[in-house]
Amino acid sequence: MATATAIGARPGGQRAEGFSLGPFLLVPASLLVVAFLAAPLLVLFRYSFNRYSPREFMVDAFTLENYARFFTDAYFIGVLATTVQVAAVCTLVSLLFAYPLAYLMARTESRWKSALVIAVVFPLMVGNVVRAAGWMAVLGNEGIVNHLMLSIGLISRPVRLMYTPFAVYVGIIAVVLPYMILTLQSVIEGIGREVEEAAANLGAGPMTTFRRVLLPLSLPGVIAGGTLVFILCMNAYATPVLLGGPQFKMMAPALYDQFTRTTNWPFGAALAFILMTSTLLLTIVGTTVLSRRMHHRKLEAAPR
Amino acid sequence: MSELILDRLRKEYGSFVAVDDVSLRVEEGELVALLGPSGCGKTTTLRMIAGFIEPTAGRITIGGRDVTWEPPYRRDTGMVFQSYALFPHMTVAQNVAFGLEMRKVPRAEAETRVRQALDLVRLGHLAERLPRQLSGGQQQRVALARALVVNPGVFLLDEPLSNLDAKLRLEVRVEIRELQKRLGLTTVFVTHDQEEALTLADRLVVMDHGVVQQVGTPEELYESPANLFVAGFIGRSNVLRGRLAERGRFISKGGLALAVPADGMAPGEAALALRPERIVVAPGASDGGVVGRVALVTYLGAATEYRVTLDGGETITASVPTPRPGDPLKQVAAGDAVTLTWPAESCRLLAPGPGATPDEGGL
Ligand SMILES: Nc1ncnc2c1ncn2[C@@H]1O[C@H](COP(=O)(O)OP(=O)(O)OP(=O)(O)O)[C@@H](O)[C@H]1O
Ligand SMILES: [Mg+2]
Repeated sequence: MATATAIGARPGGQRAEGFSLGPFLLVPASLLVVAFLAAPLLVLFRYSFNRYSPREFMVDAFTLENYARFFTDAYFIGVLATTVQVAAVCTLVSLLFAYPLAYLMARTESRWKSALVIAVVFPLMVGNVVRAAGWMAVLGNEGIVNHLMLSIGLISRPVRLMYTPFAVYVGIIAVVLPYMILTLQSVIEGIGREVEEAAANLGAGPMTTFRRVLLPLSLPGVIAGGTLVFILCMNAYATPVLLGGPQFKMMAPALYDQFTRTTNWPFGAALAFILMTSTLLLTIVGTTVLSRRMHHRKLEAAPR
Repeated sequence: MSELILDRLRKEYGSFVAVDDVSLRVEEGELVALLGPSGCGKTTTLRMIAGFIEPTAGRITIGGRDVTWEPPYRRDTGMVFQSYALFPHMTVAQNVAFGLEMRKVPRAEAETRVRQALDLVRLGHLAERLPRQLSGGQQQRVALARALVVNPGVFLLDEPLSNLDAKLRLEVRVEIRELQKRLGLTTVFVTHDQEEALTLADRLVVMDHGVVQQVGTPEELYESPANLFVAGFIGRSNVLRGRLAERGRFISKGGLALAVPADGMAPGEAALALRPERIVVAPGASDGGVVGRVALVTYLGAATEYRVTLDGGETITASVPTPRPGDPLKQVAAGDAVTLTWPAESCRLLAPGPGATPDEGGL
């Protein structure tokens, strides 16, 4: 004891501690984050308080008028509402589609499993623009869907599918589905098949096993996949532009317009921060509610 | 609690037969151990009983009810998994209560039964813990309580002790046996540990390559193995190959003429199995026994083993109580001549199939 104190209290900071590389390994990553993420954001944040002038382009100022303009303009409120609605619906629908498939992929012992994984990953290798072009070929007036419906006599004239909200929903869901499937699959794979078997062995049918065992155990995957996909949806750009047409506005295209077409950088910067903040807030609210529920159910089931 | 009958149960994976027409009747309240080397189809058989694997052919009856095509949740079996498979998001009490909840047992009764089941496995004080806050042995006992609390018609255990250390394994083994007896549970217990099977089971089923080799009490299997595989798998056996010259006289490949029980096999090619502990070793070469030279003496504490090379080149291992100081056998070392004797009725004649012992002849 006495010896230990003596060593620990050695003066002059000459502690007998080993040299650690740890803190130094953080330097490159930190520099990278500052240079490529924090710096542009800070500059943009500053811009959002500047004043726009058609002649001088951007005037240094410190005003909240860009934010005020957004919250008083029904059009922009509508754009944000559309964005949130599209993101929420696409997240939910992709969750519903992805879960069964992810489960199947996690549990199958078929030799086609790797083929299935490749099939899911493959769309990620095709850019959003290329895929949107593909949807045009499918959903256009001369597209496959209309052609099919016409030929079986379901309709007599082509139905407008392109440049509708429907096309945007379909397009975005197709983009985000792989992320959702892969996230859920890895989480479900981590849940032993044996706990499901144990539930069945104790008398739980498939639905009960899902509700009482599989779902609660895969909730972290649902939260992770949901967050990832929701963020992707909120920031969707190419798909709403190409499939929604000029009438359909979401936040990302709207703020891009401000930067390029109107060259109103201060307002564009404000839009960017409103989009970022609302995404962040909604994500936090969503994950909190879900994890609460997870916790709540645990307590509820406790036999007293 | 009910009788379990397997009728020519079979499982094929493509052209590979994992379980080959297994027929078995487990009486009410009986504990049967499925024993065999790795990959012989024990788990597959057990999982077919529980309903997790569909049989290719055959029938499974529990308490007179044909459950072959029933889903697992309608079979009334209680399974203890090798990995325990506790629900990680539920407390110990919730884990144990799960089966009762599924059976819609009223809450008050369920609580009492959960408490009783946990007391039974001496875990009453840990009811509110989560599985990950328990040791392996405690998790194991939760798994037992969870399966037992619903009074399953058939109790199934797949190597439930393999993740425990040696001391705990012995303890839990005794606990399982006591519980099973007290509750009168019809039980199938899978293991590849023959000692475990011998001490635990009313009857043993020895399997190899998906085929049942022999069914019987531990004593039946030990004293009268049906074939070379069982002779080598349950306990150990010296195996001498040769032929039965006439009833009662066996001639080994090495030219050794031995008296054997006169009943049973007709003359012809045969193998002779002989337990090492039935052999008496005497120092020096003398008539009236089999003479050989000691190749190796292994001291095992209570017993000492002598590996003896016979004149014909065959090897026999004898296991005798370790000689006391002063016993002339104490002086015997490698290279010395010894005489081996054994009662003729200790020899068991078997069909000359392939054996289980890798080290043929010398065990
Ligand atoms: N899904 C499957 N597809 C193909 N072969 C399988 C499958 N499951 C099991 N087998 C084979 O069936 C045989 C029996 O397997 P099983 O798990 O029943 O063995 P076991 O007796 O329990 O062995 P262990 O003592 O190692 O647990 C093994 O040879 C195994 O390779
Ligand atoms: Mg096994």
